[in-house]
Amino acid sequence: MMPIRRNSDGEPLDEAEAALQAWSLAWSQMIEIGAKAIKSNSFLVETKQTDVEIATTPFETVLQIDKVRVLHYQPLTQKKANIPPVLICYGLFGRQTMIDLQEDRSLVRNLLNEGIDVYVVDWGNPTRADQYLTFDDYIDLYLGSCVEHVVEVNGGKPITLFGICEGGTFAAALAALRPELFTGLALAITPIDFHGEQDEFWRGEGFLNSWIGNLDKDDVDLLIDTYGMLPGAMTGAVFSSLTPIASMTKYNVGLAAMNGNEPAMLNFLRMEKWIADRPDHPGEAGRQWLNELYRENRLANGVFKVLGETVDLSKIQCPVLNIYAEQDHIIPVSCSKALGKFVEPKLYEEIGFPGGHVGVFVSRKAQGVVAGGITNWLKRTQAQKTKS
Amino acid sequence: MTKSDKSFEHMMDIWQEGQDAFMKAQKEVAESFQNTITPLFDQTSESANASYKAWQEFIKTWAPDWDASAMTDGPSAAMFTQGRDAFMTMLDPSNWTKYAPEQLREILQSVAQGPQFADLATPHIDAANTWREALDYQNAAADLSKILLESWTRTYQRFNKTHSLEDLQSGDVQDALDVWLKSANHELLETQRSAEFMDAQKRMLRASVEIKARQRDMAEAWSEAYQIPTRTEVDDLTKIVHELRRELRQVKRELSSTKAKSKK
Repeated sequence: MMPIRRNSDGEPLDEAEAALQAWSLAWSQMIEIGAKAIKSNSFLVETKQTDVEIATTPFETVLQIDKVRVLHYQPLTQKKANIPPVLICYGLFGRQTMIDLQEDRSLVRNLLNEGIDVYVVDWGNPTRADQYLTFDDYIDLYLGSCVEHVVEVNGGKPITLFGICEGGTFAAALAALRPELFTGLALAITPIDFHGEQDEFWRGEGFLNSWIGNLDKDDVDLLIDTYGMLPGAMTGAVFSSLTPIASMTKYNVGLAAMNGNEPAMLNFLRMEKWIADRPDHPGEAGRQWLNELYRENRLANGVFKVLGETVDLSKIQCPVLNIYAEQDHIIPVSCSKALGKFVEPKLYEEIGFPGGHVGVFVSRKAQGVVAGGITNWLKRTQAQKTKS
Repeated sequence: MTKSDKSFEHMMDIWQEGQDAFMKAQKEVAESFQNTITPLFDQTSESANASYKAWQEFIKTWAPDWDASAMTDGPSAAMFTQGRDAFMTMLDPSNWTKYAPEQLREILQSVAQGPQFADLATPHIDAANTWREALDYQNAAADLSKILLESWTRTYQRFNKTHSLEDLQSGDVQDALDVWLKSANHELLETQRSAEFMDAQKRMLRASVEIKARQRDMAEAWSEAYQIPTRTEVDDLTKIVHELRRELRQVKRELSSTKAKSKK
């Protein structure tokens, strides 16, 4: 039941007064939203593309194989952590620049500030000339060679590999195939069991799994055969449709809500810049990703092969940190947590981040929870290794 | 214009180009036919004119006020124009594919899947496939739109349940917007996980990729006609290079492994 509206003297309002009050409230709110939208719009008008910088932490390229590079980040502090180098490997659906989005939201900087030696894999910009690259190439040749390089720089001693999203799947597979190269494996928002616990999905979770699972093998084959690649524009559109209202309102309601606030606007624009830079995914590797992993779940079923060798995740021998996002709309929690079934409990740790897929790296909260958690885990598990 | 409209318009352009190409191919036949038939008309034109004059005279004896030019200016001329327009309408698939699309699809499918001849009807089979694909895309887009439209209808119903008329009358537009977005998010997410949506989405994906594949075929035909390397040829070369590089790496690996063993 509606509460009786009263005037400033506490007397009940008659109909005309109530209508006038409602009219006044509606107009004041609309003017307020409009004013905020104008402020945000003015900021956009004054901002140039060069004002929105991402991935500014200095690095040098220390290895290049075809289009794939290994970037070595320059130290930001005099202190040196007593742990092996960390090689970070992002997936092929987005750019690694996400882990160095801005100074105060940068996994790379957080690790460097702890005195950790950081290397990052940059997959480059695949074109149709790269359409026949498979997971054999990405896991064994490219990632394997990148790891070998950092191991060599580390005096032949094993290193820590940190895989993110699809890069995490690559990392887990390589750690199972060549355990001698690793002293630690960290994963974030990584699918392992591509079917997950579908009965436990919350509304909005697991769309990718359901949608791809609903396709026939022929649909995937026709898509790859026709386009040669998984076009970045297409995967970007799919990701946007996973959060329909957020995608529909970010350029109107969302922008107005920012009220022209410079840090918020710049943060938003940096994310937009990162999203817009979505590479095409090489076709054959995309076919494997969709058919062999998403549809057939070969990795969790123990029948996924790299260069003819079956990937047995139970062969991972090093300490493992698995970070998942509790509100991840792309990689369901159960898909990530499945790794725990394969790794020895004494080697396995998890961090559940209370946020979404990308929030694991770019949200303010993540700088403490995730970056702090990783640093803590590295110091606890990797320092011990070095001493021993 | 929506994306689906554009795609369909594009398909119509492709269809038109196909027709033009077909007509062009018939040009030679038409020209030889014209060369054969024209002299006959030339020979008969004089006598035909004489006959027409005699016919006019004959009519005038019965209807002195009749004007022969009325035949080309009056309502009957409009009939000719309408007839032409109707014919053109008939040629434009966008005007008739919406009627009995399933039956039409079956007809096109039967043409496309019929026996193939070496020197006969290939353009017809291609055209039938193109039409069938366009029809599939049109239907898939319509089905998906319908499902999403129904979702918005449910959003409105949900909004009405949670946000009363009194709430609206309070003038709190921010609250109304929040409730509307929350309702829409709930309904769209529910829709997106439904089997009905996923099947429509799958058909839409398949139909749009089939159209893309058809465009690729046409581009390849055009490239071949102008001696330009086709996508398939470039892809073949890319694959050969990729496989050669892979073999080279394997050989290098084996060599270094052998060297390492021999050192030991």
